[in-house]
Amino acid sequence: MVELVPSLLRQELTSLAEKDERIDGRGRWESRDIELETNCLYNAEGSAKVTWGGTIIYAGVKFEMRTPWPDRPTQGSLMCGAELRPVAGRKYEPGPPSPQSIELGRVVDRGIRESGCIDMDALCIIPGEKVLGIMIDIHVLSDKGNIFDACALGAIAALRTAIVPAERFDIGEDYPLAVSMTPTMCSFTRVGGRYVLDANEEEELGGDERIHITLGDEGHLHSLQKGLKGTFTPAEFDEILGVAQQRCAELAELVNSKEE
Amino acid sequence: MGGYGDVQLLRDDGLRLDGRKVDEMREVKVEAGVLPAADGSAWVKHGLNVAVCAVYGPMEAHPRKIQRQDRAVIDVRYNMAPFSTSDRIRPGFNRRSREISKVTAEALESVVLVERYPRSKIRVEIEILAAEAGTRCVGITAAAVALADAGIPMRDLIVGVASGKIEDTVVLDLDKAEDNYGQADLPMGILPTTGEIAFLQMDGDLSVEEYNTCMEYNMKAAKEIHELMVDALKRRYVEKNGGEA
Repeated sequence: MVELVPSLLRQELTSLAEKDERIDGRGRWESRDIELETNCLYNAEGSAKVTWGGTIIYAGVKFEMRTPWPDRPTQGSLMCGAELRPVAGRKYEPGPPSPQSIELGRVVDRGIRESGCIDMDALCIIPGEKVLGIMIDIHVLSDKGNIFDACALGAIAALRTAIVPAERFDIGEDYPLAVSMTPTMCSFTRVGGRYVLDANEEEELGGDERIHITLGDEGHLHSLQKGLKGTFTPAEFDEILGVAQQRCAELAELVNSKEE
Repeated sequence: MGGYGDVQLLRDDGLRLDGRKVDEMREVKVEAGVLPAADGSAWVKHGLNVAVCAVYGPMEAHPRKIQRQDRAVIDVRYNMAPFSTSDRIRPGFNRRSREISKVTAEALESVVLVERYPRSKIRVEIEILAAEAGTRCVGITAAAVALADAGIPMRDLIVGVASGKIEDTVVLDLDKAEDNYGQADLPMGILPTTGEIAFLQMDGDLSVEEYNTCMEYNMKAAKEIHELMVDALKRRYVEKNGGEA
């Protein structure tokens, strides 16, 4: 993308912000429409498709039987990774995992891990010998902005509908994975000088830093991340945290509504 | 072909394990224009296989060494998502996906009017989200629809189909068990209008008669899938431009 485009776009976004407007007509704290589909992938033990405006991601859960880490002989493991492959948009190129995709995977991973929604001890089959490893893979197919929130939503939805393939591992009958919480993420991007919820592709291109907030069931904070160049004030954070409290609860409700 | 005839794949009534007749295809669904970020895209479900394809371009070809003075190059990436198979696949390219990407690109170059876009590149990204035997064919079908959706001129669509042999019987469109325990697999990319073949691979053991039957089945299946592809593109055209298909 030519540098000229972001600088012209930046001017446009700034003049819109002065009128408290957004480039696609949304309100400052208004999200695009979200569609969540679960159990949509054959072969994945848990899966979700998220259509978030024009952004589309899939998340799939797989299990593996592995030997535990020596210092944690009774604990299973959880790993969440995201792939930003060239399919996701014109700006993505083939090659080893980019810093962007690593950040994405790790921020989503932390939100789920730190909420404590998975009891790692419950994943132990034989202490010191066999534990279950959970792998959540996120595949971004179309990036039209705010892939972080879409990926976090897909990951927890796939996890909450996952079935442990116990029969395949010869450890009894298949059973649903116990997930005790629904952590969800809300991201804010500085556009035209002020924060907005759920930035689209143009707002990301012509905007500044972003803040990702992952909240659990009680509204507790489980993962925070500031990305890109820029600073914010404590007062600004208080304001977006208030918005996140409300929005994350709505997203958790959406995920929970997909479970029978 | 891993099997040696020790797994029963045909029932006593002559039907296959999933109830299909020998010349019956799995159910196929096609949608065009499914990815907003792409210039053209397609989603194909073939049995339990799911492939999504995005097309970007024509665009500047870089690095420059891949440029061709007289035509566009088609840059195909066939990739299986980590969760697409029963055992998780480590992300990244492997020998299998590189080979499939290469022969798929060559097949697509045979139908796309590449000489219209000298020194440029057309990116074709095939992502397999769920795999149940025959993903390379599903990928080719998806790529053809995505290229058409991107408005890239082609002399024909191209349809991925496969036949094979199980228990000494030729069957159309192998499923996973048939692929694992069968005796032969013959995937093809067929130009449905002319009946030409732009993609061909085969492994296993086939007599000439068996090959001929496979070919007959593949041609028949290609015509059926072609109709679904055209329908999907017409629906997409109406959605984008209004009016009637």
